[in-house]
Amino acid sequence: MTAVLVVWRDTLWQIFTYRPALMVMVLSLVVYGLLYPQPYLTETLRDIPVALVDQDGSVSSRELTRRLGATEAVQIAGIFPDLVAAEQALFARRVHGVVYIPQGFERDMLRGGATTLALYADASYFLMYQRLSTGVNTVARGLGVEVEMGRLVAQGVAPTNALAEVDPLPLVLVPLFNPQGGYASYLLPAAFVLILQQTLMMGAGLLATRREPSAQRADVTGGNGWRNLLGQALAYVSLYAFLIPLFLQGVPGWYGLPALGSLGMLLWVALPFVLAAAFLGLLIAAWLERGELVQLVLLGIGLPFFFLSGFAWPSDAMPGWIVFLAQWVPSTPAIDALVRVTQMGATMTDVVWQVLQLWGLALFYGVLLVMIQSRRAPDHGVTGEAHPQGE
Amino acid sequence: MTMGTRGLPIGWRLMAWREWRLLWRSPVLLTLTIIYPLILMLMLMLVFQAGVPQQLPVAVLDQDNSDLSRHLLHAVAATPEVAITDSVHDLRQGRALIQAGAVHGLLYLPQHLERDLLAGQRPEVVFFYDNQWMSAGGIVARGVMQAVTEVTAEMRVASRMAQGESMAHAAMGVQPVQVQASPLFNPALNYVHFLLAALLPAVLQIFIASTTAYALGLDVQTRYRLRVMRRLAGGVWPAMVGKLLPYSVVFLLVLAVADGILFGVMGVPLRGSLMVLLVAAVGFVLASQLIGALVVLLVRNISTALSLVAVLMAPAFGFMGIGFPREGMNLFAQLWGYLIPGTWFMQIRVDQTVRGTPWEVTAWPILGLLVMVTLLAWMVILRLMLWQRPWLQTRTTRRAKSATSAAGEGAATP
Repeated sequence: MTAVLVVWRDTLWQIFTYRPALMVMVLSLVVYGLLYPQPYLTETLRDIPVALVDQDGSVSSRELTRRLGATEAVQIAGIFPDLVAAEQALFARRVHGVVYIPQGFERDMLRGGATTLALYADASYFLMYQRLSTGVNTVARGLGVEVEMGRLVAQGVAPTNALAEVDPLPLVLVPLFNPQGGYASYLLPAAFVLILQQTLMMGAGLLATRREPSAQRADVTGGNGWRNLLGQALAYVSLYAFLIPLFLQGVPGWYGLPALGSLGMLLWVALPFVLAAAFLGLLIAAWLERGELVQLVLLGIGLPFFFLSGFAWPSDAMPGWIVFLAQWVPSTPAIDALVRVTQMGATMTDVVWQVLQLWGLALFYGVLLVMIQSRRAPDHGVTGEAHPQGE
Repeated sequence: MTMGTRGLPIGWRLMAWREWRLLWRSPVLLTLTIIYPLILMLMLMLVFQAGVPQQLPVAVLDQDNSDLSRHLLHAVAATPEVAITDSVHDLRQGRALIQAGAVHGLLYLPQHLERDLLAGQRPEVVFFYDNQWMSAGGIVARGVMQAVTEVTAEMRVASRMAQGESMAHAAMGVQPVQVQASPLFNPALNYVHFLLAALLPAVLQIFIASTTAYALGLDVQTRYRLRVMRRLAGGVWPAMVGKLLPYSVVFLLVLAVADGILFGVMGVPLRGSLMVLLVAAVGFVLASQLIGALVVLLVRNISTALSLVAVLMAPAFGFMGIGFPREGMNLFAQLWGYLIPGTWFMQIRVDQTVRGTPWEVTAWPILGLLVMVTLLAWMVILRLMLWQRPWLQTRTTRRAKSATSAAGEGAATP
């Protein structure tokens, strides 16, 4: 037991004294915490510039223009004479959508026929398209309801009945969690989990491939893989017991992101995540043997790991065997579970499978590590030096 | 200057040839520059191969159990985006399913829906959706909205026809102001064209910068190797060209393979100019390489250099403005984005592939990318020239000596 504690103390000491590991595990979290959220902090797209081509020039078309400009999403960047001019502005990215009001717009509308309004919206950026199409559709529907109502009321129908005629079965869309649909609120809680995993794996890998391993550690464990691993695991767990709440609750809270989860739940889910990620990092280090290679390999795979997790692109739409492969990466169940805990107030029963999966990964990678280390110990490397004293 | 313009024709070729052979004989370099990035990019292609998410799971709570509610459910189930996978007995149960991630939304059809509709009381249909998983949540919400709107329109047409209107007239009157929305440049709203096409170069950019820092780091981490390099090439400038050029070729080929699959097999449209794309790709690769080179020349330690490359490159994808467009970012994020080669390259790529922008309009980002390459190249040269100054040499030699003893076998290439 004391052997475990010595390794624990030694590992913590190394984390704070070995500069590359400290840089990766602690300092880079500060930098990422400041830098990573910047693109998303405005949360939504506002006032997307739109070109208006008004062939009607009527009171109604001007009213429509006014209403479009009043929405949060749309800003009328200019009245264009025709679609060709608008297209040029679109290519030059001065506008991201074109609203085309055809001739006879008002006449058709007042006659009781349908009138069509064309929206050409930039779908090379999905968020632009979604915001524009929602914004324009809402305005058009509102105008349509008013026109219909006006006609029915003029025919002598009571206003309430007229509304039932025009809009008999309203659909109410209720966003649960992230009700504002903010982009930072959507992305950051998941991305932060991935950042924690990558920096933890890198840091653990850098420490494990350090060229001067602590002689003390080998002495006390006598080359015993289990005690050695347990001591290291304890060190990472005690460090991340501070880092995880800071990074997953403190930093998002500082940016004013909505959060529901409790600290206790967060720690319970984070515990197997930290173990699984640390062990996977140590495994990669044992395989690659050089710190720079560990960094290179993990640096390149961060972005793919994120898209494998099923957060930005639903797992339901991925091929089955890719989904299966993704399950071996701690971030896949961890992003799922931790986002549900911190953002959606999930309870233990909601995330029990993800937590069990994380424990399974931690156990599997841990056993693999001990097996590899015990096979390597006699002939070369870290614990071999202890043998003369250990016997 | 005196260093090496004289030796350029022979020097850089010799150096490049040496590096090229080194690359093909080193399993580590070969894996990091070719095999590993290609595997990751292929994997991402498989992740996104469906293009448009379909049949996303949704739960229903039907408390009405009427012809109307069944009609609505039928319409919702018929939309390609949505699949009804669960039927729950109360709202709590539905919410729990969303919270646990089993479904992306819950369609709630309250009791007396049909009766209230017939009585003209405007009963509400409610759809709860998971907006934390915003991409999936948005897709199911859109699908359900389309289905319900269609059903409502059908009913209103039917009721108008019952009042004696012609079908055509009734259909027109139902929605007096119709919006004909055309998603430009990506009519099917396909994620392969939108996200994957941008993601692949973004992943590659990380590899270009980091492996350049690593490969060059092997030479600059120890002083004597840099000297060998300079002697061999006949100057620092040709040494640098010879060192980096083989990797430029390799990375361009890797990008070509990925894009070959993207445009050739996965059907992303190539509506712009191939020539512009090629120029942009060369600029992109060079700029990314030079960033890696500059960083490692500044800190002269591979591990530290990789940490710095990570800080610049790991969050870079967000700054390129694919998911959240740059137009909506704060000023800092917009300016920071200009420091990332991928930001420029992405704009050119989107312009010259899906958008089919006239090339003159794309001239500005190309110019930006080329200016970036030039500036970075000068900074690299400046750094190397400073090293040649005697007062600095003594200091760096001293530092290099201690670095040599500390680095040990770490710097040795296989």
